Amino acid sequence: MNRHTVPALLPASRTTSRRVALASVLTAVALSTTGCNGLLGGGSSEDGDKGPIVLGMNIPLSGSSADVGPYMQNGAQLAVDEINAKGGVLGRKLRLQVEDDACDPKTAVAAANKLVAAHAAVSVGGYCSGATLPTLPIFDKQKIPMVIPAANSNQLVAQHLKHVFLINGTGKQQAAAAVAWLRKDGARNVAVMDDNTSYSKDIADLTSAQLGTAGAPAKATEEAVNPGESDYGPSVTAVLKSNPDYIYWTGYYQEGGLLIRQFRQAGYKGKFLVGDGSVDPKLVRIAGSPNGEGVYATMTQTPQTTPGAESWIASYKQKFGAEPGPYATQSYDAVRVAAEAVKAAGSTDGDKVAASLESLKGFKIFSGPLTFTADHTLSNGGFAILTVKNGEFVLQDSLN
Amino acid sequence: MTAVQNPPVKPVRGRGPSVVTRLLESRRLGWGGLALGLLAPFVTATPYALNVMTSAAVFVMLTVGLNIVVGYCGLLDLGFAAFLAVGAYTGGVLATRLELPLLATVPAVVVATVVAGVVIGGPTLRLRSDYLAIVTLGFGEIIRIVANNLDVTGGPSGIYGIPGLLGDRLSDPVVFYYTTVVIVSVAVLFAARLGRSRIGRAWRFVREDEDAAEASGINTYRVKLAAYVAGAVWGGLSGVLFAAQLSAISPASFTFLQSALVLMAVVLGGMGSTRGVVVGAVVISLLPELLRDLADYRFFVFGVLLIVVMLLRPQGLWPHRSREPDDPATRSTAGADDLPAKEEK
Amino acid sequence: MSQLIWNGLFVGSFYALVALGYSMVYGIIKLLNFAHGDLYMLGAFSGYATLGALGGAVPGGSLIALLAVLGLTMLVTGLSGVALERVAYRPLRGAPRLSLLITAVGASFALEYGVRLVAGPNPQVYPVRLDGTGMSVLGARITLQQLALMAVAVGLMVALNALVMRSRQGRAMRAIALDPKACLMMGVDVDAVISRTFFIGSALAGAAGVMSGAYYGKIDFLMGFIIGLKAFTAAVIGGIGNMKGTMLGGLVLGLLESFSTDWFGGEWRDVFAFGFLILFLTVRPTGLLGERVTERV
Repeated sequence: MNRHTVPALLPASRTTSRRVALASVLTAVALSTTGCNGLLGGGSSEDGDKGPIVLGMNIPLSGSSADVGPYMQNGAQLAVDEINAKGGVLGRKLRLQVEDDACDPKTAVAAANKLVAAHAAVSVGGYCSGATLPTLPIFDKQKIPMVIPAANSNQLVAQHLKHVFLINGTGKQQAAAAVAWLRKDGARNVAVMDDNTSYSKDIADLTSAQLGTAGAPAKATEEAVNPGESDYGPSVTAVLKSNPDYIYWTGYYQEGGLLIRQFRQAGYKGKFLVGDGSVDPKLVRIAGSPNGEGVYATMTQTPQTTPGAESWIASYKQKFGAEPGPYATQSYDAVRVAAEAVKAAGSTDGDKVAASLESLKGFKIFSGPLTFTADHTLSNGGFAILTVKNGEFVLQDSLN
Repeated sequence: MTAVQNPPVKPVRGRGPSVVTRLLESRRLGWGGLALGLLAPFVTATPYALNVMTSAAVFVMLTVGLNIVVGYCGLLDLGFAAFLAVGAYTGGVLATRLELPLLATVPAVVVATVVAGVVIGGPTLRLRSDYLAIVTLGFGEIIRIVANNLDVTGGPSGIYGIPGLLGDRLSDPVVFYYTTVVIVSVAVLFAARLGRSRIGRAWRFVREDEDAAEASGINTYRVKLAAYVAGAVWGGLSGVLFAAQLSAISPASFTFLQSALVLMAVVLGGMGSTRGVVVGAVVISLLPELLRDLADYRFFVFGVLLIVVMLLRPQGLWPHRSREPDDPATRSTAGADDLPAKEEK
Repeated sequence: MSQLIWNGLFVGSFYALVALGYSMVYGIIKLLNFAHGDLYMLGAFSGYATLGALGGAVPGGSLIALLAVLGLTMLVTGLSGVALERVAYRPLRGAPRLSLLITAVGASFALEYGVRLVAGPNPQVYPVRLDGTGMSVLGARITLQQLALMAVAVGLMVALNALVMRSRQGRAMRAIALDPKACLMMGVDVDAVISRTFFIGSALAGAAGVMSGAYYGKIDFLMGFIIGLKAFTAAVIGGIGNMKGTMLGGLVLGLLESFSTDWFGGEWRDVFAFGFLILFLTVRPTGLLGERVTERV
């Protein structure tokens, strides 16, 4: 027991100084956070009908999908600025409040509640279907309409919630477009590959189900890879054993680029078709210059493929100093759709806005004229076929 | 708290216990914490604040569960999210398929987590502690991948539309928050009592010196398995609360990161110390939300903070102080500060 | 079949290279350095930055230039490893081992998101590519670049093994692994040796990072996490702390993954790999070549 009394002097003073240091660090953190926003206050609350109309946006800014978030934020911000420059909506300015959902359900639920606390009028976010699903009841209960720009799992609309709208083509529509193109291009034996995420597997399963039916090409195999890795050699070997002449990849561009390259290195001579998550110039750069050429993609219309959208790209570049990336256009459109619905409703009341969303007729967005179906999805997925020429995705076939 | 306890022996330190120390050692502190939790909604009750506080409460329960395994028994578990997943999925799948309130699934959840605990712990608890770490990590990944690949668990998008604890009746955020706080408090209290019970002493003995424990007639394997299963049940039950809160669960919630965060809460708070891990859990679950405004810097700051806190207090923010001065725990948990003393002797 | 074996060996050699750093650090101070995978990521990024800075000076894809970048990167990551040890681990020597684990997790977060702050969240594409046409060897498709990368990996491992088994340095390392206190009394500069261990381990991870960047072409700030996990698994399969065992473990894990993808499909691969690991450890708890160690508390 004496052991403890002997070193009292020295360690005690050390402990004190440590405690002081620790306390000061913690205080500093506390101050830096409370200074911005109140401890758990959930942001500033706009009062009544005076201040700006808040558009909430849940997107991944950290975690495994962190790269897409900034594109979506920029796209949405561009629309907000344009609308504000024209005087806003109902005489009020728009304000975009972005929250990080990290593609994680728990973080997403916290973020959604934060947007509710900030009195968001409409939610214009949603990228990962898995993280968007648990936020539906939160927004729905508060009667906050959701215009979801990117997440497109069928389960989002399967619950038939009154306030949930998708403006991205659904997996079903994309699979139909893929099969239509495969048939048109004379594919005989198609291998379908996904990355085992909700979005990608949805499309892959729906496509596989149609392969092998009358008029459609045969199904070679369906294979899943784990996202985030570098070496897909074993999967490549497994797929090549089934002798496909067409490979449909439904995941994202990072893995897509690696797969295309590794398939070519393994001696694969057939064609590639990729889903809309892979439509990014980086796909071609990762795949390497000769490999990426001639890859086809199922994609809703992008500014790059829409005639007359050069000015949109130019203003995006001028504002953010970078090329627009995946889902920038959909996010841009989500804000415009939301603003249009608020304007038509004449108020920010959730039920009225939802009703005016339902009655939108042929509102022009990038993927074509927008009229919601009874399911609150796009009447026409607007999927077209792009192909890579000189490192860029260009329109190949509009599938009309 | 009416049971007769050993007279509280103040920990022996260089100087007499200061007012702060005495306050921190006070038995009533737990009740104070509970009161704080119960009063918090009167200070701020935005949906966001309630949600964050509910998450924190659920996380406290999860952390207390891991504390039984790591803190009491010294078994390093890097895949604790597996039990959260087992509980959440068992409860969620049963409740949505059979249209039961979530509370009715609790017996099934307990059975499922006990089975999972025995299956995971059974073959692996004879291993060295570092191997145990990788094995539990592997199991955590296995559970997540299986949930991702099976149809009954809804594949990668998981299951949604999970009813509240009592169907839709408890779904109001305030009511749910209070229910959660009460359930979690009972769980915390029970875990703390378990730690002071006969088996709790056996756990600490095994942690401090497994060979000596074995030699004095403790069946160390069975004792370790008991700790593992107890932790699993706590984890599984917090999974039920987790599912009730989110109403939708998917494999993305049960990654290694989640396991790492729980472990971090235990170590940050002070292994084996119930008060410590409760504080640790609250800090770890609130910190990312408090740092939300730092956007890009959030996880960077989080990482740096972890290092800084550990450097300043390697034994945790609020370490366990044993009531018996001769308990070897005093030596090992006192950490670096006592090292010079030992070398002088 | 031979293609499966070749795929497995190729991936396995990367695992082995990263696993060696894990294993060395564990062997000497019994620390699971969770930030090790992120040093691999740091290596990939510093190689990327170096290649970018050299710009046109590098003739496209010449192996010599790449080797120079490799050396430079190894130096950078090696020093980062030393700095990491100095800042985050050394002050905690003698503290409970779990708190070291927490600083390691903290360091891992700090490294990942620090790189994200500097380089942005988007994946980067390597400017130099090791592209080659394949040739058929015993029914497997092999490129010259793969062979070169494996040769570099094997060379590094052989050099390391010689260092640990033959040199004075290596003897000091092994001695510290056995009993650090006794070494201190015998006049071994324990801190310096631990620093060197971190240097070597981190440099190897950095080398693996550059090689992976140059071969696969895509790098991102989270790339270290999965390979760190795999390397850790490999080290345990082989017998953590044992050099030869670790290399063997890397190859075994690579082969396991290759074959399980073929048998069960990619989505079940990790279940099989980890399931095998667990079964294997219950039968042979010390790994392939690990010695029986009595555990001290």
